[in-house]
Amino acid sequence: MPTVKDFETPNKPTWCPGCGNFNMFQALRQAYELTSQDFEHLAVVWGIGCHGNGADFTRCQGFHALHGRALPAATGLALSNPELTVVVEMGDGDGYGIGLGHFVHSCRRNIDMTVVAHDNQIYGLTTGQASPTTEHMMKTVSTPTGVLEEPVNTIGLAIAEGATFVARGFAGDVPHMTALFQQAIEHKGFAVVDVFQPCVTWNKLNTFAWFRERVYKVEEESGYDPTDRAGAMALSLTTFHDMACTPEQCKLPIGVLYREEGRPTYQDGLPQLDEPLWKRALAPRDLTEMVRGFM
Amino acid sequence: MTTADPRGENRPDLQIKIGGPAGFGIKAAGQTLARSFVHAGLNTFDLTEYPSLIKGGHNAYQVRVSPEPEVLCHVMPVDILVALDHETAERHVSELVEGGALIYDPDKTDVEGLIDPEHVCAVPVPLDTIVKEAGGVAIMRNVAALGAVAGLAKFPLHYLTDSLEAQFAKKAPEIAEKNVAVATKGYEFGSKTECAFPFRLSPVEDAPPRLLVDGNEAIGSGALAAGIGVYCAYPMTPASSLLSFMAARDREHGVVVKHTEDEIAAMNMVVGAAFGGARAMCATSGGGFSLMVEAFGLAGVSESAVVVGLLTRAGPATGLPTWTEQSDLRFALHAAQGEFPRVVVAPGDRTQAFELTWKAFNLADQLQTPVVILGDTYLSDNRASIPVWDLEAVTVERGKLVTEGDMVEHPDTLGEDGLYLRYKVTDDGVSVRALPGVTGACQVVNSYEHDEYGYGAQGEVAATRIAQHEKRMRKLDLASSLVPPPVEWGSEDPDVSVLCFGTTVQPLRQAMAWLARDGAKVRAMQVVTLWPFPADAVSAFIGGAKKTMVIEGNYAGQLEGLIREVCLLGVDHRLHRYDGRPFSPEQVHESLKEVL
Repeated sequence: MPTVKDFETPNKPTWCPGCGNFNMFQALRQAYELTSQDFEHLAVVWGIGCHGNGADFTRCQGFHALHGRALPAATGLALSNPELTVVVEMGDGDGYGIGLGHFVHSCRRNIDMTVVAHDNQIYGLTTGQASPTTEHMMKTVSTPTGVLEEPVNTIGLAIAEGATFVARGFAGDVPHMTALFQQAIEHKGFAVVDVFQPCVTWNKLNTFAWFRERVYKVEEESGYDPTDRAGAMALSLTTFHDMACTPEQCKLPIGVLYREEGRPTYQDGLPQLDEPLWKRALAPRDLTEMVRGFM
Repeated sequence: MTTADPRGENRPDLQIKIGGPAGFGIKAAGQTLARSFVHAGLNTFDLTEYPSLIKGGHNAYQVRVSPEPEVLCHVMPVDILVALDHETAERHVSELVEGGALIYDPDKTDVEGLIDPEHVCAVPVPLDTIVKEAGGVAIMRNVAALGAVAGLAKFPLHYLTDSLEAQFAKKAPEIAEKNVAVATKGYEFGSKTECAFPFRLSPVEDAPPRLLVDGNEAIGSGALAAGIGVYCAYPMTPASSLLSFMAARDREHGVVVKHTEDEIAAMNMVVGAAFGGARAMCATSGGGFSLMVEAFGLAGVSESAVVVGLLTRAGPATGLPTWTEQSDLRFALHAAQGEFPRVVVAPGDRTQAFELTWKAFNLADQLQTPVVILGDTYLSDNRASIPVWDLEAVTVERGKLVTEGDMVEHPDTLGEDGLYLRYKVTDDGVSVRALPGVTGACQVVNSYEHDEYGYGAQGEVAATRIAQHEKRMRKLDLASSLVPPPVEWGSEDPDVSVLCFGTTVQPLRQAMAWLARDGAKVRAMQVVTLWPFPADAVSAFIGGAKKTMVIEGNYAGQLEGLIREVCLLGVDHRLHRYDGRPFSPEQVHESLKEVL
């Protein structure tokens, strides 16, 4: 079985020094080793954004999709071959902005795949515009007087729409992220891991230091029950805060926020997806009987 | 009263029109009638006109039936008009031929002043009463009317009652029974009419078996025959029935059919499914294709083998949802930014729709690029009886594809470092495609420009860009050698040479048959593959012609412009239509006569 190093390609990562993507990349490769992935069946689909450059750095069955469209491309791939492990990496602008519709419907489907969101609360690759998860009233080049919208409640949205594994990671904690990715990949159903991933170049507010002072691990809270859907939803609402909130005022939970085992996946409803579907095209289908019905 | 009927005096065919409010099951009833004709060895061609609503509004269904071996298309004159409401009688009575018949419910419609009994045969059939006496429900009025049609044309009743029994037997035998009773009663009224209705529909003995299908059933069957694995779509008229067709057969044939959240998802899913190795297709109309466009380009640059059905209606935007037009030819040819190879084929009828669809899957695989099947509402919505498809002729050609094993068995696909080159530069532009699951086939299928491995970083190197771009565009040369050629027919020594694409071929064939009967010399070419454009064949066709003409269902003359662009040749005459209606053969006939 391939180990962490084996999932690298000859291409050297091109992210900015200190970018949260490096740690996410590391944690993902560790999770691939821990879940015994092989190159032939690990299919990773990227959207477009800084995170997407990972397509050049990951040895696998890679698909570098369109901006915002990683989820439907990954869904088509998953629906064409049940033997693949499908992982989607998407950005916040990518997955929660232009591609938000696909996110909602993918949650509803509980399709068996893992989604890792590189949530840096900014558009990095297009040089610093506000994203759907940018803090309310934060000033960016596209919102010089401040963002007038509230950020998308990504965790609450995923829970509300039917994702069966919803977690949040912090790019400053690789072992914790690795464990989340591992559980997400092992989860049968639609697993979302939204990762606070500081952008060191364009987001001067939500920095590593800013997050370190605010994140806490829900699994260390006595009594937190990630199988309580209403409780998880309530917790997601507490993560809203204003830009000026002090570490004491806003505590940001990380860890497995919600999980539900046993709900049928989308694939469970497709008995016809019992083998890779390229096998349907080994020879022309015999339509003799069907055609008789047209007579 | 319609005057010049080019069908002539001794015509063997009959056109029946049934009209009424939407939601009365008029199309379903008409198709039952058509099926009973086909079972009697006759041939049919139907045309449905309906507004974009479910209840209320006016619907009309017409079926042309003939004992001849083929019915080429609909015609305008009506021989029997069935008015399920007064509006139908008012609206369509002027379409009746001299000696035609109006079947109406005397309790609903007063024909006094509406028709001249000297010229039109009035056939009162108390539809409501018949249904009530049989203990049926209101929707069975259709069936009573169908019975009257059969009775009037002396068409043996049992073909109709057999069709009704077959239709309802499984669902509810008691409903079948009532329908048969209602049809039988309607038949009595139709056959005992007092006026002399001259037309007779007699069964044809020993007629070959026929299929009664619409264009979407033909396209869906072609896709199934080709071994489709994944079909994705969002409902949009006139493509919606193709989604239902596929969905109804998904488990039986082992196909994953996904009704997606939008057309953007449909096209992206299809590209993803193609990466997984399934034969994958989506279909929509112009509005949905507008949303698919970016991912259509993704299929081009990622060299994905996908098939896209573009079944057009009158646009732009929501346009005329339930009507037909051929105005998306240029859209299909130019959709998406940047340059990449594509194939566009346009079936003219249901036989071609089946053949071109299974062939489209082969082309997509052989070329690893998107293939568009360009149809329209006229094709999608309307059924005709056609020869049984040649299922033996269907082939599955997957091109340069490795589905299993280890890439070390394919050393020519590997780089100097021993790694698989998904986008290896080749003479014909096509690289060996290895599916996920094949050992040693790590790859990046990429929306970015990329190098031979698929990595995006090196795609920005100018030499890499040139090599990959030229490699992809070279596939058009290969495509030219693989795509279906134009179809030509007609006089060997023509006075007029006509070009068309898509479904216009149907009224053109009919018009040319009438002209040939009357001694006129016309030759026609249907451009089957619109891209890559068959420049040599079209140039030769135009080059030797006395007079040339293009007939197409749009305002701008999109095919004519394409001919001018690619062949540097103009044409002398043109006929366009953009009112949402298909060309009628009478219109084409008149227009050709003027040019002759």
